[in-house]
Amino acid sequence: MTADNGRSIGGVSRRKFIATTGVAGVLSVAGCSENDASGDGNGGNGNGNGNGGNGNGNGNGNGNGNGGNGGNGGNGGNGGNGNGNGNGNGNGNGNGSGNDSGNGNGNGGSEDLSGEVIITGSSTVFPVSDSFAELFMEEYPDVNVTVDSTGSGGGFENHFCPGDSDINGASRPIQEAETENCGSNDVEPVEFQIASDALTVAVNNDADWVDCMTFDELSQIWRDDRAQTWSDVRDDWPDEEIALFGPASTSGTYDWFNENVIGEDYEHTAEHEPTEEDNLIVQGIQDNQYAMGYFGYAYYSENSDSVKAVEVRESEDGECTEPSLENAQSGDYPMARPLFIYASEESAQRPEVAEFLNFYIENSETDRVSEIGYVPASTDLRDENLSTLEEITGS
Amino acid sequence: MAGGTAEPAEPPESAGMTGTEEVSRLRGTLFEAVTLGATVFGLLMVGVLLLYVVNDAVRPLSADPGWHLVFFLTLVVPSLSVAAYCYTREGPAGEVAYATFGLPVVGLLVGAGIVVVFLEVVSVADWFGLALALVAAAGAIELHRRLRPYAALERLAVLIVAPLVAIFGVPALSVDRTLATPLTGTELFTLSFSTPKLLPGVPELFTSLPVLPLDWLLLVVSLTLPVAFAFGRIVSRRREDDRGRLETVAAAGAVALVGALVAPTVGIDAAHWVVLATTTLLPLGVYLEGVVRERAGLAGLWFPVVVVAGTLVGALVVETVGFAGPDPWLDWGFLTSATSRSPADAGIYPALVGSILMLVVIVVSAFPVGVGAAIYLEEYAPNSGPLGTFVTLVEINIGNLAGVPSVVYGLLGLAIFVRTFDLGNGTVIVGGFTVGLLILPIVIISAQEAIRAVPDSLRQASYGMGATQWQTIRNVVLPRALPGTLTGTILALGRAIGETAPLLMIGAAASVRTPPNGFFSRFSAMPRQIYSWSSEIQPEFRYGVLAAGVVTLLVVLLMMNGTAILIRNKYQRES
Repeated sequence: MTADNGRSIGGVSRRKFIATTGVAGVLSVAGCSENDASGDGNGGNGNGNGNGGNGNGNGNGNGNGNGGNGGNGGNGGNGGNGNGNGNGNGNGNGNGSGNDSGNGNGNGGSEDLSGEVIITGSSTVFPVSDSFAELFMEEYPDVNVTVDSTGSGGGFENHFCPGDSDINGASRPIQEAETENCGSNDVEPVEFQIASDALTVAVNNDADWVDCMTFDELSQIWRDDRAQTWSDVRDDWPDEEIALFGPASTSGTYDWFNENVIGEDYEHTAEHEPTEEDNLIVQGIQDNQYAMGYFGYAYYSENSDSVKAVEVRESEDGECTEPSLENAQSGDYPMARPLFIYASEESAQRPEVAEFLNFYIENSETDRVSEIGYVPASTDLRDENLSTLEEITGS
Repeated sequence: MAGGTAEPAEPPESAGMTGTEEVSRLRGTLFEAVTLGATVFGLLMVGVLLLYVVNDAVRPLSADPGWHLVFFLTLVVPSLSVAAYCYTREGPAGEVAYATFGLPVVGLLVGAGIVVVFLEVVSVADWFGLALALVAAAGAIELHRRLRPYAALERLAVLIVAPLVAIFGVPALSVDRTLATPLTGTELFTLSFSTPKLLPGVPELFTSLPVLPLDWLLLVVSLTLPVAFAFGRIVSRRREDDRGRLETVAAAGAVALVGALVAPTVGIDAAHWVVLATTTLLPLGVYLEGVVRERAGLAGLWFPVVVVAGTLVGALVVETVGFAGPDPWLDWGFLTSATSRSPADAGIYPALVGSILMLVVIVVSAFPVGVGAAIYLEEYAPNSGPLGTFVTLVEINIGNLAGVPSVVYGLLGLAIFVRTFDLGNGTVIVGGFTVGLLILPIVIISAQEAIRAVPDSLRQASYGMGATQWQTIRNVVLPRALPGTLTGTILALGRAIGETAPLLMIGAAASVRTPPNGFFSRFSAMPRQIYSWSSEIQPEFRYGVLAAGVVTLLVVLLMMNGTAILIRNKYQRES
């Protein structure tokens, strides 16, 4: 973003400031708001109360207190040429935040948000977060929302808990050890369930012997001392080695599968091909008739021609259910799992993060989520999330 | 040509061949065939790979066959025949043909790069202020040289301080420190004072002027005229008169001015025009002037004309007949937009800017350090005794460091720059430093090789003239070693721009939609972006967008390597 861009826009806004009074004026008492917009607002609104505004250090760093004229709002008009000639007699304390945000109209409203929102975490949640980031940035072009796909655990361990990221996506609830780890760095994670996924077990298209499996059978295949061949599981299945493709241990999908399907008493096998790339799992299954793997439903819906999804039932007397968004929503599908984002409570105090979270939660209830291949949050869940957000941001 | 070089040594046929000679000859032929096979195999493999990627990125088959036919007839056939004519019939014409075609293309790419820098990184006014500051600093240094020609140490100080003061001014001083005795910790006294900013730097002074000239005017003065001045030197030297320089500057200034007034009417930003004209028209004009004046290879001038005319005619025909062109992934929109959830809208722009900024950090950090280390190791370090053994050990380990996996450097960068120095997760400067560390051993080794290749007789001759070691290194060794050093460095930069693993480690994010506007903002680089596309759900990302990204990366790489070759050739000719 060029500084001259910021300048001309600043010029427009400042002229408008003279006409505006209100919230920004109150903020100006604080005089050191991080938000450029409210900072600018001070110049115009500090009409006669002499509480100098803070000079906006716009991009080229000439934060020499323009508009920092607490004495008379009229001088704010001079600032309108955007050349930063601080002709004010106030105490312009020039906090110069340096981000030349293109502040549209300086009304302290939502369009003036600027800053950064850093998202890390689950590769399963990544498409949702990335999609919302794109939509959000169309509305707020000055907020830089970066999204990274690090795996749920990897994100908590390396980015979120050390305080490097604001939001972490997770395809399983946060673990106790992780909460402690975050706590030791004064990061307070706040949970929002934003969607559900139908975890899908898939086999090769030519694996015509298998249509439906129970949790126990899946557990036999995926646990530590696993069944090596198909015939070890059921006698009428072929006597061929099972090739396993699954997520890496940093993945929340791995943790969820281990806990809920394999069973907490068993360890997840280490003999599978672990990867953070769900495409590679699909590819692996496609290339081997006796292969098996599991991944999020979004990848299955995109690849439903290349691999075959296995219907599952929790136990022998359950009903075989195929993975689909409807079945996951209705609760019939036993491998439906919740997807979360965790926001750092401290980060959520920043207006851009709070706004993004609000945007995220509002949108988590819409079709945008089902287009990606997940089950959207229910209206109740959304309202619950919104009130949680309100609680932590205190607004 | 193993067989060819062996030929003169062969005895004449009449002498009769003994068995051993036959065998050695067979061995030679076999060896030649094997080497040829290796070459063909390697080139074929790389070629097939590239074709595959380019095909995915451009999708030539998505066009109507008629489209291909039209352009084949209007563009390919005429330009190929003109090129063939130029190369076979007239020697210099061939060179003229490719130079007049290549110069504008390279110029446009370079110009586009500069425009991007002005759009994203520095404002024109800042740049002008910086240029002013450098001129002021140079003036101060020159003045000092005139006034006190023999105070060498003092001049060194001026040399360092003048640019710093000119650019940054004298910053505000603020001291707040309690002095205590080191052991007992008894407080002695507290030193606490702060001053306002003592002296603003030139850029700051300039940008705080109440009225700033228009951007394009600043660019004409700070970019076009200096470049024209440099090119004018070439013209002057070629024509062996003094007017050439003046004429070049005047012509360049006039073209830039007139164009800047006309450009906005056709929808081109005046400042962009000035930059593009400077990088494209100026070198082309200077080159054409030489060609026309010497009247050598004039036929070659037809080549660019035929290419441009063929493209226009082809486009016109295709438009009127209604043949659909190809629908490439790699198009203007791809180069100028950010990544997106929908493959059709996805682009690489923020990552491209990120890569370029990262390269700047790498060049500024790794090059001086690497060359400095190489000079010390080659010229100053002891090479005998126990210290010499230690130096040898160090050199061997630098070689080993060049082979350490890049992901290890990424972890190092994460530990040092992100965690210890707290330069931010996934920022440009961290990425640059980390990848800079990665290529540092390569820079050191290539610079060492280049320095070692300077004949010792030159050094001895320099010493014989009474020069000191410092003078010898500065005036004899470094100029001779420069081409090799630069080539090695630019090839190392080529590796740096393609590195992915360190960027993953330091937290460069998978999707960054705002290009970095400084060295401390978060960024994504081209390989990082390509990697994140490779794990997208939709196959269009993996087979289309990804390929377009790869081709973009390759073009940037090709340009860098081309620059390396140009620089090397230029200095080799001069030295």
